[in-house]
Amino acid sequence: MNEELVTETVGGSGVRPVPMKKAEAARRAKPFGSSRLLRALPPVAAFAVFVGGWELVCRLSGIKPYLLPKPSDIVRAAAENASNLWVSVYTTISEAVLGFLLSIVLGVGFAIALASSKLIERSVYPYAIIMQTIPIVAIAPIIVIWFGAGINAIVIIAFLIGFFPMLSNTLIGLNSTDHNMKNLFHLYNASPMQTMFRLRIPAALPYVVAGLKISCTLAVIGAIVGEYIAGIGGGKGGLGYAITVSAARLQTAYLFACGLSASLLGIAFYLLVNAFSKWMLSSWHESEMNASEG
Amino acid sequence: MTVAAEAKEWVKMERLSKVYPNGTVAVQDVNLTIREGEFLCFVGPSGCGKSTIFKMITGLSGPTEGTLEVMGTSPKQARKQSDTAFVFQDHTLLPWSSVIDNVSLPLALRGVSRKARKEEAERALELVGLKDYTKAMPRQLSGGMKMRASIARALVSKPKLLLMDEPFGALDEITRQTLQLELLELWRRDPRMTVLFVTHNVFEAVFLSTRVAVMTPRPGKVAAMIDVPVPFPRDETFRTTPEFGDIVRSVSEALKH
Repeated sequence: MNEELVTETVGGSGVRPVPMKKAEAARRAKPFGSSRLLRALPPVAAFAVFVGGWELVCRLSGIKPYLLPKPSDIVRAAAENASNLWVSVYTTISEAVLGFLLSIVLGVGFAIALASSKLIERSVYPYAIIMQTIPIVAIAPIIVIWFGAGINAIVIIAFLIGFFPMLSNTLIGLNSTDHNMKNLFHLYNASPMQTMFRLRIPAALPYVVAGLKISCTLAVIGAIVGEYIAGIGGGKGGLGYAITVSAARLQTAYLFACGLSASLLGIAFYLLVNAFSKWMLSSWHESEMNASEG
Repeated sequence: MTVAAEAKEWVKMERLSKVYPNGTVAVQDVNLTIREGEFLCFVGPSGCGKSTIFKMITGLSGPTEGTLEVMGTSPKQARKQSDTAFVFQDHTLLPWSSVIDNVSLPLALRGVSRKARKEEAERALELVGLKDYTKAMPRQLSGGMKMRASIARALVSKPKLLLMDEPFGALDEITRQTLQLELLELWRRDPRMTVLFVTHNVFEAVFLSTRVAVMTPRPGKVAAMIDVPVPFPRDETFRTTPEFGDIVRSVSEALKH
């Protein structure tokens, strides 16, 4: 009966019925599973229509492939240069991850230092805000002069772009601890260290996670921007380098492949951080609770 | 179960006044001695200075005039000795910690060993009837259970002075009455524990306490001290006795001044 039900739902939506094992059919037939499948259908269909339409328009109108490549051209370009593309993606991943980790460690670390002393916060924080408004592209050449073209400068650029969201989010979190809770800790003679590690930091976690979500995609952007500016001299260039080269050579299809890889990278980063935040907060914080309770 | 006259003077206020920098007189000329083992309720409308008196007893703010002694020493010093415990209207449980970790928090802050902490926390949770919920997270508990956990956290350090600031104010009437009975039971188990209880509910004050301090606002003053000479244990039937009605009436009268 389950099998029938599933075939019916899937077949009814205009997709070729897929034969399923009984166990899987039973699993998918659960109201939750099937509703998720149904919910995934419209965006998938829209994607198919979009890509199909693009291919069709390109074929019929005869647009030059260096102006707008067909989706099939992009896939072919990616497949032909798979090893190069992989090296680029891998390089960019390692730079972005390094920069992101640095921005977490230093962002959270500085925030804790600022939050422990009102004096430090008052004297340093205004400058942190001012520094945040300097566009990263404007200071990137200076970083290249200081640290040389190559991975060092790129990691620092990826770090800088993710650092301030981490710092300001964590600091806001550390400073918005519930007043009653702080009183409680004070009344039970908690030391500033105890209050920091047992109360303020755990209470700031939702803010830290919000910072992570911003910084992780910024780190990918930072790494690519860094490669634009500093990657030319490096041995194995990342995606940013590959993009500048293929743009200069009018290899538009490969340019598209690189751009798509970059955005997939950003999405993957975001999903990873999102999964991490669910795991961290699902037991207690509102923001991640509904998903786990269903 | 009345408190003997020779019992130790646990909290002593003499001409206690508090004027805030903006000129508001929160508390004026309060003379009050609370003895060991008493259950004393401060009752009054909002703005009558009962919370200010509480803050001064906990040492969170100092008086502008007069003297205040807690357990024979200054409020701050008394708090440092860890013989005082607190329960607020807000349960203030840490949402990321399990019930047992929340209850053992005061001990953890004092550096008590993990094993001793667990034993004491389990004892306190048993007292409030939550021993099956040690691993639960606060959000899984009802309002009444959260308050029980909050009370367990206060009792975990076996306090000599328990300060409660409108603890049942946010609960529904039925839960509130159940918790009142449970609180009285907890207090009777430890005849040396002194409870100071702030409320704006006259019925609650009369039902719980050995003495009621009636406070009136602007400036905050103790308008009357009313004894509740009804022996313990008290149960639900006390609420319907004529005696209860009489005391409630005299407290309400005093509130009108």
